[in-house]
Amino acid sequence: MSRIGVFICHCGENISRTVDVEQVAQAARQMTGVAYACDYKYMCSDPGQTLLKKAVAEHKLEGIVVAACSPRMHEKTFRNAAQAAGLNPFLCEMANIREHCSWVHDDRAEATTKATDIVRMLVERVRKNKKLVPITVPVTKRALVIGGGIAGIQAALDIADCGHQVVLVEREPSIGGHMAMLSETFPTLDCSQCIMTPRMVDVINHPRITLHTYSEIECVDGYIGNFSITIKKKARSVDMAKCTGCGVCMEKCPQKKIPNEFDKNLGFRPAIYVPFPQAVPNTPVIDREHCTKFINGKCGVCQKVCGPGAVDYEQQDQLVVEQVGAIVVATGFKLYDITEKPKGSAIKGYGEFGHGKIPDVIDGLTFERLASASGPTGGKIVRPSDGKEPKQVVFVQCVGSRAREKGISYCSKVCCMYTAKHTMLYKHKVHDGQAYVFFMDARTPGKSYDEFWRRAIEEEEAVYVRGMVSRVYQKGDKVVVMGSDIAVGVQVEIEADLVVLATAIQPRDGADTLAQKLGISYDKYNFYSEAHAKLRPVECATAGIYLAGACQGPKDIPDTVAQASAAAAKVMTLFSKDQLEREPIVARVNEKFCVGCLACKKVCAYGAVEEKEIRDRQGNLIRVVAYVNPGLCSGCGTCQATCPSKSVELDGYTDEQVMAMLDTL
Amino acid sequence: MKNIKNTKMELSQETMNVGFIKKVEALSGSSVRRCFQCGKCSAGCPMRSFMDHPPNRIVRLIQLGQWERVLAGRSIWYCASCETCSTRCPNKVDLAAIMDALRKLSWDADGPSKESYVQLANKLFINNIKQYGRQYEMRLAAVFNVKSGQFLKDLMLGPKLLSKGKLKMFHSKNKNLAEIEKIFNRIEEMRKNGDAP
Repeated sequence: MSRIGVFICHCGENISRTVDVEQVAQAARQMTGVAYACDYKYMCSDPGQTLLKKAVAEHKLEGIVVAACSPRMHEKTFRNAAQAAGLNPFLCEMANIREHCSWVHDDRAEATTKATDIVRMLVERVRKNKKLVPITVPVTKRALVIGGGIAGIQAALDIADCGHQVVLVEREPSIGGHMAMLSETFPTLDCSQCIMTPRMVDVINHPRITLHTYSEIECVDGYIGNFSITIKKKARSVDMAKCTGCGVCMEKCPQKKIPNEFDKNLGFRPAIYVPFPQAVPNTPVIDREHCTKFINGKCGVCQKVCGPGAVDYEQQDQLVVEQVGAIVVATGFKLYDITEKPKGSAIKGYGEFGHGKIPDVIDGLTFERLASASGPTGGKIVRPSDGKEPKQVVFVQCVGSRAREKGISYCSKVCCMYTAKHTMLYKHKVHDGQAYVFFMDARTPGKSYDEFWRRAIEEEEAVYVRGMVSRVYQKGDKVVVMGSDIAVGVQVEIEADLVVLATAIQPRDGADTLAQKLGISYDKYNFYSEAHAKLRPVECATAGIYLAGACQGPKDIPDTVAQASAAAAKVMTLFSKDQLEREPIVARVNEKFCVGCLACKKVCAYGAVEEKEIRDRQGNLIRVVAYVNPGLCSGCGTCQATCPSKSVELDGYTDEQVMAMLDTL
Repeated sequence: MKNIKNTKMELSQETMNVGFIKKVEALSGSSVRRCFQCGKCSAGCPMRSFMDHPPNRIVRLIQLGQWERVLAGRSIWYCASCETCSTRCPNKVDLAAIMDALRKLSWDADGPSKESYVQLANKLFINNIKQYGRQYEMRLAAVFNVKSGQFLKDLMLGPKLLSKGKLKMFHSKNKNLAEIEKIFNRIEEMRKNGDAP
């Protein structure tokens, strides 16, 4: 190929400030195979692209090098422009003279020389480029949603309402997640159950949603459009088809003193139970750890009293395989437990707050259960220690959050608002009580949010004290909170009846394990990473996997629902096509030279290398060679580097091309 | 007077004087709870450098019902009532009116500020008006110096003022003393009826 056009971009001043672009263009004109070179202020703009298209026609260009920003930024833009000009888009390449040159250098002369070298290398590569055709793969129009909280429910309903099949997997016996545990929701104070439970019913009644509760993702295979998911359905010990949800088994179960996790251990439940009365599905599950039948085989009452004969002690864990085309991850959050320092974690504990030692120091979710009409106290706010009504309640914000030295530097985002809500709920239920809040900042961005916080202070008379608490200790039946009011500049001491800590939001346990199964990235806190913080906030870098809710970062309900709908929209965009187009930058095996050592198979991170048998016309096996599945290959080039017989080549990055690039330097 | 400026605050429904908050709000006609401590009042206050509590802290202390701390301080007496704070407040907290209210409450309260010289001066000033129907500066200065224990305060200014006729040796009474007495009586009556603060 000998007619190459080189287009050098100033990127405003980003490049031209450090690189003499005219000199680079001048040098490019002298390079072998370059038929045309020019520079322009904004090559990606409409006039810039027009310039490129015109040059292709006028100079009969056969290849293009755009020397500008990173290919991650604008490769697609310029390949589209090349295609519009009648060229194969894969004959257009980008020379990154911004991130790799102008942004990281100061010396103009040296930067210009480097930019010229980068352009020269790319010219060599384009000279040996081949026309490539995008790979098409079929799409299974069925989605998997992991997590049955409000995020998962919203995503599942949106996708299913659009006409596609959805598989919803939930780890707990019931869907609903944390939102089902909340009492009332900010900033409107509407009852969480009232808005949540109908959605849960919608899920179970939806003809296109397959619900797997008490289930976990065992293994994920495949790629965008073609995932194969193995789901482990844990043994419920109750046949869901036979159970009518009458609840007799729960009434008769002699084990009644098991702390109820759903009520944050404030109440009790039997060994055969549904987490809460509005659970979906309303089928009980036997907690085998606490069930007498499973401990010593001596009970069996539930089986005897069950009319339809649904109780089945022999039930085993079951593996189900589902084929899906897209995955929405919505695994949610947990509250940071400050009782003790978690093992093997960078997080340091908070011994000074006495959580776990003083019974009347509780976390925000426990307060939600106390304030909830369906909670263990029927909505009456009492102290866990003696059941008395607390007259002075102290709330402490930013416990765990925003404490770099303690291991978490981020803001948990929802605590300011839910603490304001807690002070109101408390005032509404205990009229003669006084709520105090220790806070560092009030972070209330959101529609009607700041007004809500101000209302807690101005109308509901919560006393907000700006300053962090240094210590909480028991004194008689009171809990003394030592803090400081930094506006006054003095220490503050409050003898409280109840202390509520707004503890940090963390990803669910096992978030990292699931990420490894899915092949998606996560940050140091185990929150899942989006592909681009601003422009691709609901997509993972791994194609076909989307994020919704607090598994990606702390989020309130409105944001969670919005993100879940956005993820659903992304899934529907994917499902709008029958075939998917993939970049053809994939590895190919030269079967003539392949010796079938399969070293490439061992190193492939994507499981894209398969064994292929070569047979003669009679069907006799001649030999085995490696085969790269273009649907799975991500074009990383590891196999190419590993192959001892040099029989794997990555399209667009062949050995010949890379050597030519190096030779020209 | 015990210095309580830096001592620990023990907050409870007993120690937070809600009645005081209500009184300040009623007297000033301005909400106290609306303040979110942005500090703009203190930022623009021309008298800030003379005050022990900056204006924003005064509001904060009222919010917490800490009347003793507010009245023990000198800030309320240094306020020049220029109203810069009230004009600029983003929350419509009328701090100038609140300062007025605090000075008023300080007068009534059995609070520490009874010992303040400002209070003393105000009291002598009003007594003079009551007695003579007009101000008698010589007596005001003399009694003030004796009562405040600063016998020689501003003594050297005396002859100068006397020579310019700004200070009179002997008092002269207002002709309509009876009318003035009526004014005082009316205020007393209004106070009794609750019509005046």
